[in-house]
Amino acid sequence: MTWDIFADSLPELLVAAFATLQMTAAAFVVAAMLGLLLAILRLAGGWPGRLAFAYIELVRGTPALTLLFLVYFGLVPLGITLPAFSAAVTALGLNGAAYLAEVYRAGIQAVDKGQREAAQMIGLRRGKVMRHVVLPQALPAVLPPMANYLVSLLKETSIASLISAPELMLRSRDLAGTYYLPMEYYLIAGAMYLVMAWPMMQGARRLEQHFARGRLKGGRT
Amino acid sequence: MTAWETVWSYLPSLLLAAVTTVQITIGGFVLAVLLGLLCAVLQEFRSRAVNAVIAVYVDVFRAVPVLTQLFIIYFGLTEFGIRLDPVPAAIIGFGINGGAYLTEVFRAGIASVHHGQTEAAQMLGMRRLTVMRIVVLPQAMRIVLPPLGNFAIGLLKDTALASAVAAPELMFRARNLVDRTFLSSQIFIVTAAIYLAMSLPLGYLTRRAEVRVSRGQR
Repeated sequence: MTWDIFADSLPELLVAAFATLQMTAAAFVVAAMLGLLLAILRLAGGWPGRLAFAYIELVRGTPALTLLFLVYFGLVPLGITLPAFSAAVTALGLNGAAYLAEVYRAGIQAVDKGQREAAQMIGLRRGKVMRHVVLPQALPAVLPPMANYLVSLLKETSIASLISAPELMLRSRDLAGTYYLPMEYYLIAGAMYLVMAWPMMQGARRLEQHFARGRLKGGRT
Repeated sequence: MTAWETVWSYLPSLLLAAVTTVQITIGGFVLAVLLGLLCAVLQEFRSRAVNAVIAVYVDVFRAVPVLTQLFIIYFGLTEFGIRLDPVPAAIIGFGINGGAYLTEVFRAGIASVHHGQTEAAQMLGMRRLTVMRIVVLPQAMRIVLPPLGNFAIGLLKDTALASAVAAPELMFRARNLVDRTFLSSQIFIVTAAIYLAMSLPLGYLTRRAEVRVSRGQR
């Protein structure tokens, strides 16, 4: 009998899991782009660099949940009401940008200085040096931590349920409450996260092994 | 009273809740370190069955959101008549979840200590656990400390999720105050500042400790 309930709610859960994936993808794009901007600003120095540094430290020092509530509830007095899903994408993106900025920075700094100097010597402008010379070489140091970040972002979208954004965890809570089967539904939710995270984790591991080959590993874990 | 004056008057209440945040963080941290250390050391005895169990534990708990794990412990267990208080439930949840991460951290640390160290100590007639305790683990600390510090900072921030199981910590109190006063921006900004005031010194201490343990190396 209980199994009928699960079978009935499976389509709902799958739709919710798809929303989780959409939220993950959207927040990842925001974080990846804003993070790159922050990293470049920070390395440029001057007051934009200090501002970027302050943003990174501020965001990395506070819980994502606080940022999420600030974006969703905190902007209401200013007359800005975002839908829960957009608020979650914004907050997770803003939060992730601070992490990825540090990842990019480490990657960019790992590129030998001579590369930049040589490119400038042949007359490339700063923007082009970054785009054609530095960033492509930074990729091996950047991709594995980015993949790991994607996995943690997938799991972090679960906090969006706390502002009632429609995703897997919210749907599971609804169903758990409706049928009073919390253990079953949260285990199912856990299993669905596992199914989504597993391939990503394997991918991240493969990337790590791929780029670790043929060179000494740095202190990153 | 202006909005900020109102928030100011609630500051003691928020700071009191921050104490619970610290308690959950410390409780979760100790449990996670104990579990991680236990699993990492057990792995070294190379029993196939034990290692398979540990591998499943590590992979599964790292692939599932910690919020889901908290709900399983706090709400799920009620189906079996087990009703934990929010704070112990949070400590257990964060501890078990963190243990999976720290197993990997400690494993990497132990692997970084040269074989010769273990062999030499065994030659002196030490037993395996003694070797682990006084030869391998102290040397592994150098590798372990940076990720351990980052874990502690991450955990401090993660405890905000305990508000979802009604643990009376900082985020929970902030949400209550917002419900009562509607001063959402002010209260959440102050809350963020309190988290920052806790995590920044923790980051500073971590870096200091890293410098200390790596002194005299290379």
